[in-house]
Amino acid sequence: MLENGRISSRQIATLLFMAMISTSILFVPAFTVDKLGSDAWIALLLGTFLGLLTLLIANWLGQQHPQKTIFQYSQTILGSFFGKILAFMYVWNFLRVVAVVVREFGEFMTTAFMPNTPIFVFIASLLLLAALAAIAGIEVLARTSEFIILLVATSLVAIVILSLGNWELNQLLPMFTSDLLSILKTAATIEVWKADAILAAMLIPFMIRPQKALVAGAKATLAAGILITIGVIGALAIFGPYLLPSFRFPIHMYTRTINIGRILTRFEALLMVIWVAGVFVKTSVYLYFASLGLAQAAGLKEYKFLVLPLGVICATWSISLFENVAALEAMISNPYPESLLMYLGVPLFLMLITIIRNFLSGQQWRQKQP
Amino acid sequence: MNVFSFLRSLISKKIKPGPPQLNNRAAAKKPDNQDDPVLEKRLELIKARLGESSDIIIREICSSQDKVKLAVLFIDGLVDKKAVSDNIIQPLLSSTIVNDYAEKLNQENAFALIQKHIVSFAEVSTAPNLTQAIKMVLAGDTALFIDGYERVLIFGTRSWEKRAVGEPETEAAVRGPREGFTETLRINTSLLRRRIQHENLRFETMKAGRRTGTSINLAYIKDIVNPHTLEEVRRRIAAIDIDGILESGYIEELIEDAPLSIFPQIEHTERVDKAAAAVLEGRILIMTDNTPFALIVPTTFFQFLAASEDYYERPYIAFALRILRLFVLNIALFLPATYVAVVTFHQEMLPTQLLLSIAAAREGIPFPAVLEALLMETTFEVLREAGVRLPKTVGQAVSIVGGLVIGDAAIRAGLVSPAMVIIVAATAISNFAIPAFNATIALRLLRFPLIILGAVMGLYGVIFGLILILIHLAGLQSFGVPYLSPLVHGSVSDMAKILVRSPWWAQIYRPKMLALQQRRRQATNQWLRNKTGSERELTHETMGDKDARKW
Repeated sequence: MLENGRISSRQIATLLFMAMISTSILFVPAFTVDKLGSDAWIALLLGTFLGLLTLLIANWLGQQHPQKTIFQYSQTILGSFFGKILAFMYVWNFLRVVAVVVREFGEFMTTAFMPNTPIFVFIASLLLLAALAAIAGIEVLARTSEFIILLVATSLVAIVILSLGNWELNQLLPMFTSDLLSILKTAATIEVWKADAILAAMLIPFMIRPQKALVAGAKATLAAGILITIGVIGALAIFGPYLLPSFRFPIHMYTRTINIGRILTRFEALLMVIWVAGVFVKTSVYLYFASLGLAQAAGLKEYKFLVLPLGVICATWSISLFENVAALEAMISNPYPESLLMYLGVPLFLMLITIIRNFLSGQQWRQKQP
Repeated sequence: MNVFSFLRSLISKKIKPGPPQLNNRAAAKKPDNQDDPVLEKRLELIKARLGESSDIIIREICSSQDKVKLAVLFIDGLVDKKAVSDNIIQPLLSSTIVNDYAEKLNQENAFALIQKHIVSFAEVSTAPNLTQAIKMVLAGDTALFIDGYERVLIFGTRSWEKRAVGEPETEAAVRGPREGFTETLRINTSLLRRRIQHENLRFETMKAGRRTGTSINLAYIKDIVNPHTLEEVRRRIAAIDIDGILESGYIEELIEDAPLSIFPQIEHTERVDKAAAAVLEGRILIMTDNTPFALIVPTTFFQFLAASEDYYERPYIAFALRILRLFVLNIALFLPATYVAVVTFHQEMLPTQLLLSIAAAREGIPFPAVLEALLMETTFEVLREAGVRLPKTVGQAVSIVGGLVIGDAAIRAGLVSPAMVIIVAATAISNFAIPAFNATIALRLLRFPLIILGAVMGLYGVIFGLILILIHLAGLQSFGVPYLSPLVHGSVSDMAKILVRSPWWAQIYRPKMLALQQRRRQATNQWLRNKTGSERELTHETMGDKDARKW
């Protein structure tokens, strides 16, 4: 194996949680509220449950092919040629995720905190950190994220609790005015945001006890979903459905409203900690699996030397991918259809083929390990 | 091999099975064919090998009417001379051997007879050849050479001037035993043995150092310790090949997992109670001769935040103190950097009043905040370094110069702002509030790059530094245990122990992260037993106080 590290079920939950929450907490509120008004949180809850779908499929595939990542079992399922193509597609997709995430990160940092700094400083430094962590391997990544989740979770809870005084819950009214179709549409968008669950398809083979993956992943998905929902409800309760979409980063503005006794104020620093730390985890996980996937698909013996070149590619890609923030936002609120394909369609397809093959060859499905 | 794997290979220590130690190699090079059981030749050989050093004493004895020739070899100053003459030499002298044995003693049975019947000394062993015997003699034993025998009788006569057991000076405590380790290994083992009187407490002696031949003792409890950890410790110590070991710090650097890391990966202690607690917890104690500092492995980062006194006072204060130490740790590491970042980049983050007073204080200061911070931090480090090694009387002068001139005058002269002095002072005090000195060294050093990062990239730079440190820490291991455990990779109960020192009756298990043979450390419900064990509840009345009712 390219990687000998082993992670626990708590660590997989942490990694998934961090990947799901870090970017969506910043971008999701604006466009869901833009689309659905005060009903945004319904779509968020729905989307969270939809997000479990990806996890279920990824977990099922992982249990069927123990000790193998999706890059490897795609070759078992589809044959060497098509399997490799699929693996390369995933690598491409992950690199794209990295590029998009670091761009989002850079935009946020330059918009909210340091407008005079060139965006490339943030992109390059974050990718450097991510590359260092990716080179260090899955165990270090998992441990780092376990530490960071404490930081992020406590900061988020602190922000929500401290802002409770500013909530005006009647801003949430009227409820249920949106039609079901648009709610479902937005929920499908949210599903893409929750699609980080696809990481489970790569994390499961490194688990000490893979059979615990589903529960851990589900916990992470639900926790992330509920936390974001609370965030959106809070932002709605403070700004109302009309003011909120006009902010680029509602959570940032939301944090700025905290003012308790004129001392507990200005918590943006806390938000920056969450944001940097969370994005760092997400970027490094995706960069790590892009490198590992490339090495596995190409049959290399070492993935580490791929990390830095791929990081450089992501850095330049992130700049050239979008012309400006508006293009980035447009992409975020209307996620590209191929994402849905990659995160839901392809795993489903792999699952179907496995089932059909098992059925044709008359084999029983592999029992879950005791 | 690419650059990174090369760098990593530098950082992560890979010990190959080392070459055999020189001691053995020397033995192989100089085979004992030179050795001669004939006593006269042997004595010449000894003189040739040990030279004319004045402290080497050879006493020749003729026993049993010259039938058996003997020689005693020892080093003056390392042996108990009275014991040597009373218990070894005297019984061997012809005139004093009890008649029976005097007749029996002859060339054939001399060795066994002397060992078993004649010499009245408690600790006797045999060395197979001259080289071994000389090694033992150099360590303070006495050798008895018998003409015609290659084997040598060795008497454990080690005794020399030692420092008495004193209070551990680097780890003072208000409550707790006052005994600390000394420079003598044997005293240290006895101190530990007195605390853990269990048959499974093991002391395992190894030697390291080509020239110094320093004894290293592993102390552990056989049925608790993780055998794989123990094996790894043994392997790493056996692989040490160095000319001398004068302090356990040598061993620490030679056996730790990441020798290039800035963080200490092995805890050391002078306190016997702390060492005993570590052994009871399933860790391994590495005691080195000639130093009072014993090493504890495996070590995790959060051990450095615990003081032994936490375990003797009420649990609540330990809880509060540990939160304080965690806070202080962050202050010591991040406060100056954060201050520089906020003042330079994020003024809007401060509450207006605070911002105004800081801005007013910085009015007229010629330097940017980062220069101010580096200046003051460096000054403080200089003052501290100057004060550490000075005699106490001169030390006062330094503190006057430091406190008055640097602090007060620098502010009056408008060179630094009062706010910065407060920041530096708070950082310094925080640094002292962390119990482990070696852990604070890392914080002291890391503070400077963090200040620069804060000045270059603001708060983002500080977080950048934090994540960099975190990646490094997450990659560290100490003998198989992740350095950041139990915070990562630990059970919830282990995790709670970072902050909570639970009452003794609730500490039922040893840390899970050490993967010990026995996790259980005590019976459950001891607290309840106190309440319900006796037949009737003990109250003032049942104690027999006749006046209880009247109250």
